[in-house]
Amino acid sequence: MKLRVPLLAKLGLLIVATTGFYTYVGQMVPQKEVYPPQETVIKADVTTADMVKIGQEIFTGKGLCSTCHTIGKKTGPYRYPDLEGVDARAGTREPGLNDVEYFAKSMHEPDAFIVPGFNPGMPTINKPPIGLNEQEILCVIAYLQSLGGTPNVTLATKHKYNGGDAAPVAQATP
Amino acid sequence: MKLSKLQIAAGLVLAIVGLAAALRATTYFVSKLEYKAPERAAAPPATPRDQGVRDEHEAQAKKDAAKPYAEAEYRAFPAVGSRVAVWVVAQLHLLFAAFVLAVPIFALIIEFIGYRTGDKRYDHLAYEFTKLLSVSFSLTATFGAFLTFLLIALYPKFTNYLMSVFSPTFLPYVLLFFLEAFFLYTYYYGWGKFSPRVHLLLGLGLNLVGTAIMLIANAWLTFMMSPRGVSEAGAVISVMDAVTNFTWMPINVHRVIANVAFGGSVAGAYAAVKFLQAKTDEERAHYDWMGYIGNFVAISAFLPLPFAGYWLAKEIYAFSQTLGLTMMGGAFSWLFIIQAVLIGNLFLAANYYLWLGMGRVEGAREFQRWIKYLLVVVALCFMVWATPRSIIATVSEVRAMGGGAHPALGFLGVMSAKNTAVNILILTTFMSFLLYRRTGKTAVVPWKKTGNTAQLAIFGFAAATVIGLGILGYFVEARVRIGLSVPQVGSVLFAMVAITAIDVPLYRGATMSHEVRWGRIPPISQYVLIFIAVTFTWLMGLMGYVRSGLRQHWHVYGVIRDTSVDAFTPTLGFATKVVSVTVLIFFGLIGFVFWLSSLHDQKDWADKQKEKGA
Repeated sequence: MKLRVPLLAKLGLLIVATTGFYTYVGQMVPQKEVYPPQETVIKADVTTADMVKIGQEIFTGKGLCSTCHTIGKKTGPYRYPDLEGVDARAGTREPGLNDVEYFAKSMHEPDAFIVPGFNPGMPTINKPPIGLNEQEILCVIAYLQSLGGTPNVTLATKHKYNGGDAAPVAQATP
Repeated sequence: MKLSKLQIAAGLVLAIVGLAAALRATTYFVSKLEYKAPERAAAPPATPRDQGVRDEHEAQAKKDAAKPYAEAEYRAFPAVGSRVAVWVVAQLHLLFAAFVLAVPIFALIIEFIGYRTGDKRYDHLAYEFTKLLSVSFSLTATFGAFLTFLLIALYPKFTNYLMSVFSPTFLPYVLLFFLEAFFLYTYYYGWGKFSPRVHLLLGLGLNLVGTAIMLIANAWLTFMMSPRGVSEAGAVISVMDAVTNFTWMPINVHRVIANVAFGGSVAGAYAAVKFLQAKTDEERAHYDWMGYIGNFVAISAFLPLPFAGYWLAKEIYAFSQTLGLTMMGGAFSWLFIIQAVLIGNLFLAANYYLWLGMGRVEGAREFQRWIKYLLVVVALCFMVWATPRSIIATVSEVRAMGGGAHPALGFLGVMSAKNTAVNILILTTFMSFLLYRRTGKTAVVPWKKTGNTAQLAIFGFAAATVIGLGILGYFVEARVRIGLSVPQVGSVLFAMVAITAIDVPLYRGATMSHEVRWGRIPPISQYVLIFIAVTFTWLMGLMGYVRSGLRQHWHVYGVIRDTSVDAFTPTLGFATKVVSVTVLIFFGLIGFVFWLSSLHDQKDWADKQKEKGA
C-alpha cells in the first residue's frame, strides 16, 4: 500500500526544513556577543606607563580604533594606515606639529589631513558614537607614542584641543 | 455511538452550570474558613488586628499620595524579553506591510496589460492577486498597532523621544492610512463595477498612498540609523532634515524593489499551493501561469536589488565609516556569508524553476542544452560568493594555512571576487530568462542575425568587464578597488537594458513553433516556488536584523544610547533563531490568508448539503 502524505504536511515540512537549514547555517558562523564599551576610570595620579596600558585597552575597545587600523601588518591591502612605528612619522607629517599635536588633531579633526593613498573616513573621536573624553584621548596618544617612540604625555599635557596652544615641540610637563 | 446535537448542547449547558456551582461553593467555604475573633459576630469592636489593618491602609494611602512621578525608561516583557518581543512583532508587521505594498504594484501592471491587450486572463489574474490583500491589510494594521503599544509600554522614554522628533508626521500618516483603506477596499470590491479606467485610477491611488505611507515610516527607522536634523544632545533643529536623513532615500528605493520581489514570491507560493490542490488540468494551467508570473515578478525585481543594496551601503559608509565597518568588517561581517547562502539558493532555485518551465514547450530542446553550462557558472559563482575571507579553524589548521585565511581560497573571500561572482550570477540568471523567453519562438525580422550577434557581443562585453575589473581589484589600492564596483554594476545594468531593448523588437511578431502547455510542469517546480518564498522571507528577516542591529548599543545612533539590559548585540546564531521563529509565524498566518482567499471560490455550505443529500 502506498502511503499518501497530505499536502499540508508536505508544505509544513518544506517550510520547517528550509528555515531549519538556514538556522543551522547561522549556528556554523562564529558566535560572538558584542557588549557596549566599558567606561574607563582614570585616576588623577596615573603614570605615563599606565596611560599606555589604558590607551591600548581603549584602542582595541571603546575607541574602536582596531576596527580599521592594523599594527604590524606586513602586506596589503590596507583599509586604513597601519600604525606600526607611527610615532616616528607623526612628528614630521605636518609642518609645525609635533607628535602629540598631530595625534590630537587626527582624533579631533580627522579629515583635516589625510595620509596620502587613503580615503577620508575616520570619525571624530571626541564626539558620539565613540565619544572619548580628553583624558582617554591622552591615554590613546600615550599608546600611539609607544609605537615607534617614547611616551611622554601625562594627564596634564596640553594640546590645541584641550586648552593648550599648538606648540611645535612635545610637551612633557608633569 | 453518535451524539445528537441536542445532547451536545445539553452537555455544554450542564458543564457551564456545574462550573458556576463549583465556583460558588468554593467561595462560600473559603469565606467560612477565614479567621474571625469570637466577639466579631455580634458587634465587632476595634480589635488590635483591625486597628493594625486600618493603620496599614492609611500608611499606604499616605505613601501613595506622596509618591513622585517618575518616567520609566524601560519595562520588561515576560519570558523572551523586550527586545525579542519588539523584534518579532516589528518584523511580522514589516513582512505583511511589504506584501500589502507590493501586490498592488504588480496587480495594477497586470490589470493594465489586460486593459491594453483586451485579454481577460490578465484581468482575472490581477483580481486573484488582489484577493490576498484585504486580510493581509488587516493583519498589517493589527501588527502595527501591536508594535506601537509594545514600544510605548517597553521603551517609553525612547518612544517619547521619537514622537517628539516626528510628531508633525503623525497626522499625515493617519490620514494616509484612511486613504489606503479607502483605495484598497474600493479597488478590491469595485472590481468590474466601474469603468476600467476608473478602476485603474483607483489602483494607482492605492499605490501612491501606500508608497507615501512607507516613505513616512521609513523616515522614522532610518533616522534611528543615520540621524540628521538634531543637535548633538538630540534637540530637534529641522524635522525635514530628520525625515530626509542620509539613508532615507536608499532605503525607500531598496524597500520598494525588495517588497516587489518578496510580494511576487509569496503570490507565486499561493499559486503553487493552488496548483498542488488543483483537480483539473484547467486549474493546473491557470495556477501554473499565475505561479510563473509571480516568480517572474519576484526575480525581475530581485536582479536589480543588489545594486540598490550597494547604494544603501555606500550611504551608510558616507554617513559613518564606523557604522559601515561594523557592518562589513566588524560584528556583522559573518552575517553576509549567511546572506550569500540565501541569495545563492535564490539564484539556483530561480534558474532551476526556469529550466523546469522549459518542459512546457516541445521545442525547448534547442535551449535546454545550454542549461548544464549555466548550472556550472551559477554553482561556481555561488561557491565564490559563500567563501569567507577567514575561516573558523583550529590552531593546527591556522598553522598549516600560515594564517587565518586559506592560502588559495582566501583570495576568493575578498570583495573583488564576491562582486565579480554576484554580477556574473545576475548575468547568468538574466540569460536563463532570455532563453526561456525564446522557447518555442522563431524570430522573423530580417535583422535577426545582426540582433543576435549584437546581444552576444553586449553580453560578452559585460562579462569581460566584470571579470577584468574583478581581477584588477587585486592589484590596486583600497580606494581605487572600492570604486571598481561601480563600472562592474554599470556594465551589468547596461547589458540587461540593452539586450532587452534588442530582444523585444527582435521577437515581435515571432512565429510560435510550439505552443506553451501551461500546467505541464513537474509538481516539484511548485515546491521550488514555495522554497523561493520561504527563502525571500528569511532573507527579509535577516536583513531587517542587520539594518536594526547595526546601531549596536544606540537607539538613535550617536544620539540616544541604549542603556537597557538588551544593549548588547546577540550572537548571529541567536539572531537566526529569532528570524526563523518569525518566518514560521508569518507562514502560519499567510497560510490562513491563503485559506480565507480560497473560501471565496468554494461552494456555499447549503449547496454542499444539497449535493450530499442528492
